Amino acid sequence: MKFLASILVLLSISGCALFQKPVPVVPKFPDPVPELMKKCNDLKTIEGDKVAITELLKTVVQNYTLYYECSNKVEGWQDWYNQQKRVFDNIKP
Amino acid sequence: MWIFTVITEYVVHAIFAVGVIGIIIGFVLGFIPIIGKYKLPIQIISLLVFTLGVYLEGGLADNKEWELKVKEVEAKVAKAEAEAARLNTELQASLTTKNTVIKEKGETIIKYVDRFKDREVLKTIEGPERVRVEEVIKYVESCPVPKELLDIHNNAAKLSKQEGQKK
Repeated sequence: MKFLASILVLLSISGCALFQKPVPVVPKFPDPVPELMKKCNDLKTIEGDKVAITELLKTVVQNYTLYYECSNKVEGWQDWYNQQKRVFDNIKP
Repeated sequence: MWIFTVITEYVVHAIFAVGVIGIIIGFVLGFIPIIGKYKLPIQIISLLVFTLGVYLEGGLADNKEWELKVKEVEAKVAKAEAEAARLNTELQASLTTKNTVIKEKGETIIKYVDRFKDREVLKTIEGPERVRVEEVIKYVESCPVPKELLDIHNNAAKLSKQEGQKK
């Protein structure tokens, strides 16, 4: 009888451990900022044979503008990642 | 735990209670003649029922704790999703502002370059500076950039594209 009681006590104690299960809540992967999903534009080239230096200069300035816009996107992705990681890390139970 | 979808909380408590009562009857009230006759079967059955009751009670408590944890995590996730959306909106606004400033600055420089092209720049300059700017304009008008230099620029602009590759 004592043996049976011991077995049953052990079984009932182990019962709780058998119930352990993971929390079935999965956070949704965060949406990126739409602006960041746009691809960087191609740099501009100059067409024609006789091109004034001002035209060349304008194209260079336009390309600098494109570079800064693209650089802005890269920095945006870095900010987005850091912010979303901080938010995600706070969810952990 | 699947069993809690079949039996209610009250059934679990009832099984536990039956087990406890059975143990009391089997182990304590054995001196009563009618019970004493079935003492061993009552003891065995009540121990089994009690064990099942303890097991289910433990499971029930654990299940409740788990449900609380689920609710807690769900609340955290909802809060995080709202926070993520708010940060995205802020980032979108920040990016739009930065891009607008970049475009405006670029356009301002281009307009300044155009002032040399259409001689507008001369309207605001007087004296020896005007002579110098006139020389610049003369250079701009009479000296086109050689094709070779334009090709170098264009090749550099297409640096990230390989032969025959479309972006």
